Amino acid sequence: MAQLLTVSEILYKCFIKEDRYKLMISGIGVTLKVSLVAVVLGVIIGFLIALCNLSKNKILKTIGGIYTDVIRGTPSVTQLMLIYFVVFAAIRWEKWIICAIAFGINSGGYVAEIIRAGILSIDRGQTEAGRSLGLNAKQTMVKIVLPQAIKNIFPALCNEFIVLIKETAIVGYVGLMDIQKAGDFIKSATFIPFAPLFATAIIYYVIIKVLNIGLKYIEKRLRASEIR
Amino acid sequence: MIKVVDLKKNFDKLEVLKGINEHIEKGEVVAVIGPSGSGKSTFLRCLNLLEDVTEGEIYVDDELINSPKADINKIRQKMGMVFQQFNLFPHLKIIDNITLAPTLLNKMSKEDAVKRAYELLERVGLKDKAESYPASLSGGQKQRVAIARALAMDPEIMLFDEPTSALDPEMVGEVLDVIKDLARSGMTMVIVTHEMGFAREVATRVLFMDQGIIMESGSPAEIFDNPQNERTKLFLSKVLNL
Repeated sequence: MAQLLTVSEILYKCFIKEDRYKLMISGIGVTLKVSLVAVVLGVIIGFLIALCNLSKNKILKTIGGIYTDVIRGTPSVTQLMLIYFVVFAAIRWEKWIICAIAFGINSGGYVAEIIRAGILSIDRGQTEAGRSLGLNAKQTMVKIVLPQAIKNIFPALCNEFIVLIKETAIVGYVGLMDIQKAGDFIKSATFIPFAPLFATAIIYYVIIKVLNIGLKYIEKRLRASEIR
Repeated sequence: MIKVVDLKKNFDKLEVLKGINEHIEKGEVVAVIGPSGSGKSTFLRCLNLLEDVTEGEIYVDDELINSPKADINKIRQKMGMVFQQFNLFPHLKIIDNITLAPTLLNKMSKEDAVKRAYELLERVGLKDKAESYPASLSGGQKQRVAIARALAMDPEIMLFDEPTSALDPEMVGEVLDVIKDLARSGMTMVIVTHEMGFAREVATRVLFMDQGIIMESGSPAEIFDNPQNERTKLFLSKVLNL
């Protein structure tokens, strides 16, 4: 039989009793560190895979093609579990690190396509101008194509970062206590679903809101050269 | 200075250049004219290997440039190229557009490169635009910067690929003036152009190309006043009697 609780009783049970707020806070830390490491890994992997996809070398092209195909063709929760329970079965690194690697690998597949499209969006004439001045292919890429491509792909990359942060909410599948899992845990312990899940939603929302403001600022700076 | 032997270029099955033989001496200003699709831009782009050559040989200063042994980046530093679409680097200020290659390729120190860039900008009349971004320039100004950028590498040869074709009519003059000035300074140049009056005035030699070969070659007077080839006559009658 449902017992009616006052708001303060609910808040007390969910967040104060047995120091449950600490669970949420440590969950925030876990989500942030998994996301941060995964974003960095994802960009590095994505960039390398994008170069493979754009390369004229058949082997590299095939590797890049298979990578993006498999990553984008399977659910991230399946990838996470495969990496955690199979690939890292014998390697007992800290749970959050394995999760960050899994998400980095996943994100890399998407970032690769974003970067590839960004590089292709730069007019061929830019490369030709660079090469005609005597720059080699790498110098042209680094000094001319990439700076322009980054500006074009920045909004899409931001979107990918945001999706990634929310995606990490599945780490509970391998038993890592992030924000989502903490909320879920409190829900199970207290039999009160509303407060912990609502708190979980608010925390994700605030993290992403703050990130968004920061990214918008950077984007504005990047566009400086377009001001007439 | 440039020697082209039996140059052929195919795009898949399409034969664009069907055997070009040409010798360009130091100090020559060669204007390449002809109908669109005649292969004149492709010919020019082959000269600094922006297109890879299907068959034949291209020598620059007696060095075979379309060989795997040739250091194409080094060779390109000797040949400035100016494009129809300017191709300025939009993320860099004008001054950085010009100094990028000389400093990156260790041709000169940053200070010298900046000094040289200002000299070149003065020469093309755009010194006050050094700190602007390309987006704020008109087409004619962009093309003049592009010429300055190519000159910053102190090339021995300048290649122009329809340098005024993308310009509004009132801006053509300012760009042609810069090119004329350059021609008078003794620079070896190859210019693909549709500006017949300009070709006649500035060129020491005119090549008429059609259907992937050089149909006729001669002094501007010979080509424009007394063309021998039927196709040259036909082409000129179309473009000169507008």
